[in-house]
Amino acid sequence: MAEETSWYKDAVIYELSVRGFYDADGDGGGEFRGLTLKLDYLAELGVNALWLLPFYPSPLRDDGYDISDYTNIHPAYGTLDDFKMFLDEAHRRGLRVITELVLNHTSEQHPWFLEARSSRQNPRRDWYVWSDTTDRYKRARIIFSDTELSNWAWDPVSESYYWHRFFSHQPDLNYDNPAVREAMWEVMRFWLEMGVDGMRLDAVPYLVERESTSCENLPETHDVLKSLRARADRSFPGKLLLAEANQWPRDVAAYFGAGDECQMAFHFPLMPRMFMAVRLEDRKPIVEILQSTPAIPDSCQWGLFLRNHDELTLEMVTDEERDYLRDEFARERRALLNLGIRRRLAPLMEGDRRRIELMNGLLLSLPGTPILYYGDEIGMGDNIYLGDRNGVRTPMQWNGGWNAGFSAADPERLYAPVISNPVYGYQAINVDSQRRYSHSLLSWMKQAIRIRQSTRVFGRGSMEVLDPLNHRVFAFLRELGEEKILVVSNLASQAQAAELDLRRWKGSVPIEMSGGSLFPPITERPYLLTLGPYQFYWFNLRRL
Amino acid sequence: MAETTAVSEEFLRQLAAVGEVDIVVGVPTFNNRETIERVASAIQVGLTKYFHRDRCVLINPDGGSTDGTPELFKSASVSDFGMLLTANPLRTFHRLTAPYHGIPGKETALRSLFTAADLLRAKACAIFPPDSPSLTPEWVEGILRPVYREGYDYVSPVYQRRKFDGLLVRALVSPAIAALYGARIREPVGGELGLSGRLAAHFLRQDVWEREMPTFGLEIWMVATAIVDSFRLCESFLGPKIQATKQFGQDLGGTVRQVVGGLFQCMDMHAGYWKAREGSQPLPLFGFQYAVALEPLRLSRRGILDAFRSHVEQLVPILESILTPQTLVELRQVAQLAGNDFRYPDELWVKTIYEFAAGYHRSAISRDHMLQALPPLYRGWLGSFILENQKADLGKIEERLETIAHEFERLKPYLTDRWDTETGGAR
Repeated sequence: MAEETSWYKDAVIYELSVRGFYDADGDGGGEFRGLTLKLDYLAELGVNALWLLPFYPSPLRDDGYDISDYTNIHPAYGTLDDFKMFLDEAHRRGLRVITELVLNHTSEQHPWFLEARSSRQNPRRDWYVWSDTTDRYKRARIIFSDTELSNWAWDPVSESYYWHRFFSHQPDLNYDNPAVREAMWEVMRFWLEMGVDGMRLDAVPYLVERESTSCENLPETHDVLKSLRARADRSFPGKLLLAEANQWPRDVAAYFGAGDECQMAFHFPLMPRMFMAVRLEDRKPIVEILQSTPAIPDSCQWGLFLRNHDELTLEMVTDEERDYLRDEFARERRALLNLGIRRRLAPLMEGDRRRIELMNGLLLSLPGTPILYYGDEIGMGDNIYLGDRNGVRTPMQWNGGWNAGFSAADPERLYAPVISNPVYGYQAINVDSQRRYSHSLLSWMKQAIRIRQSTRVFGRGSMEVLDPLNHRVFAFLRELGEEKILVVSNLASQAQAAELDLRRWKGSVPIEMSGGSLFPPITERPYLLTLGPYQFYWFNLRRL
Repeated sequence: MAETTAVSEEFLRQLAAVGEVDIVVGVPTFNNRETIERVASAIQVGLTKYFHRDRCVLINPDGGSTDGTPELFKSASVSDFGMLLTANPLRTFHRLTAPYHGIPGKETALRSLFTAADLLRAKACAIFPPDSPSLTPEWVEGILRPVYREGYDYVSPVYQRRKFDGLLVRALVSPAIAALYGARIREPVGGELGLSGRLAAHFLRQDVWEREMPTFGLEIWMVATAIVDSFRLCESFLGPKIQATKQFGQDLGGTVRQVVGGLFQCMDMHAGYWKAREGSQPLPLFGFQYAVALEPLRLSRRGILDAFRSHVEQLVPILESILTPQTLVELRQVAQLAGNDFRYPDELWVKTIYEFAAGYHRSAISRDHMLQALPPLYRGWLGSFILENQKADLGKIEERLETIAHEFERLKPYLTDRWDTETGGAR
């Protein structure tokens, strides 16, 4: 496998919202020019790929996931030229750029839909899924259960129902129509040709509908993706397709195909189990989901994340697990949204620096490519009093000054208020203040990312879970060729001792990776480690 | 502070790995190969079903089984919780074995369990016998919930019994405890029990562990100590209890000696307490009480009565040292009654027990000899009770047992008199 084309395996991806990152023109919302000005910060952080939330023309009724023009830039974020400049500058700093491709649906304001609804005879009519009744596809679940009552919405213009898996203002495209598939390839081509390094494919399981099925993960959907991948590989080798499929591992694994579909897919079920494991102080949830995760083709990679722009989704857990997570992490019921919890990492960890580090430590060391969400590297808070998921999409907190250094606009003009409470407010939590001292969360994150990037084991190595008697300790070995890294994490709030069976690596010396300290060599005897509350170690096992 | 010497180094290692827990459940065993897997699985399902968010550990103190019981205990696992209408457990389920050396005995097993509960800072602790075929996951909830969720310190089981089942407890131990300690506890030696972490720690601090305590005596001691030291007791209805291996009469003498010996020991320890008590109160009862048709226990009353008659005459020299002349005369008269006229009056039964208790207190004769003299008399009372209640339904049986319990309370001043009398017996 060519290293060049599998760059995503060694990546640390940073997800950001153009609107929320930096407002250079003082209009209250971020734009590409602002983002370009902050690229040095991102390079300094140590990430090497950026994933941008949708920036296309849109009525913004779903934060840009309702696209009305796939090949342009929303005027609030700049122009295509601004984007090209941003792209060049990012590449100049070694930062790859991943953009959003919302395949499943458009905005109801997209010209394609406006044409399609204009009359039943319109040539674009068949670009969407229509019905005279709501009886079709009854087995498909409603995803946005808090807001939608049906997957069908009435169109008063053409007097028929159209199919939508998300909001009713987001009609689903009809992938049974070859013209739609061609049009979406043209969209992909447009951006890849411009130099974009990869595309996150939004909501991929829902592309095709079939009667008497859940309308999810259908073979026909995989055919669409395989075709797009094949065309991308032919014309633009090394471009990444990252699938967003909030499904169980065995279903998600299908989106890798035989290495001929998406190179990456998010591991959705792992994420809530990491939260659960730390709350339960028990490695069981993580170990179980890893055990039930199928092997994937060599060229493929899991995308791992703790938080993102959506709610902490709890679809891929059992009812009991969901109840537990909601009770433990959403004691303030306003934090609940759909089946999940709309909170950022730091508030979910109750601001506990040790737990935030532990969670990031797991994220950076488990098999897969870690994806950080903007602001989490400084421990930003959220605002659950904003509607929908807007509370986790507030302006980046750059400093303790006007509008958190995000914008020079009047505060009333900001697209969303900055976080200003005494705990997570911008005066307490911001980039500038955390740059000033070496033990800040930001400094710690930089070091952790640097260690992660110092070796390819984390991105490419195998994983073997160890089984110490103490279930509060989660230990595993990552191995790539001769290189071996031992990760030992204490998931508990109290100090723990663990005896590890490391006999197979007898004679090796564990070297703690953050400080380079030598630990006693491994012998035939159980290797005793003591860990403070939520403490974790990454050891390089070196054979001397 | 727990005596850590009560547990082995290996067991301590395992406990250290488990760490702090919410619930400790113990199943003491000794050669229980036939039943242990089912019991361990039922408890695991119960904990998963009713305490799935809580940190639980299941511990098996084993007294040196040679039939592979500890291995079966460790390997017993539930493969498909869904089929048992239970969600998968959220947490790691810990199952530890704690072998101990020496004479297999409940005190060693309980001591190591209580030590484990104390070291692991458990909020609740439960003990289940290894051989109960009636044990269901619901029993786990029944025994633990009152402690864990309702703040009680000691949970005693209540069973639906078969007719004539468990009469030694129901007509002697239970009414005696009610009369003496003021708490109407129906199954003080049931086998299943729940207790709070603080009560387990309290028990550990008492000085009984080095003493010789009869097997069932320890359970009576726990009940009595919990009452005397003002812990909160309650009962929990578990449903029908079927004994697995025990045949009626099999070592009845040994059982009587153990149970009543334990009771007498406690009376001796707590005399200051019970003498100052009057009246009795029922305990709060948890659980939905339902009834199922159970086949009555079949007992040979002729065999029981014959044993009584022959033994009373043989035992007269010993009984003269224990019983008052009047009681002994009445007892011998009862032994003469024939066939359907045979009755062991309630008052005489209660006086018999109280005089034995006082004699035990005075050590009128060797306590062991004294306890050996009691089983034949119990057979007499039992024969009489069966004869009297042959056609009675379960409700009537309960009423009769209530009457006996009242008799224990009514005659408590008589016990106090006998207790304080320097000498006793017919001689």
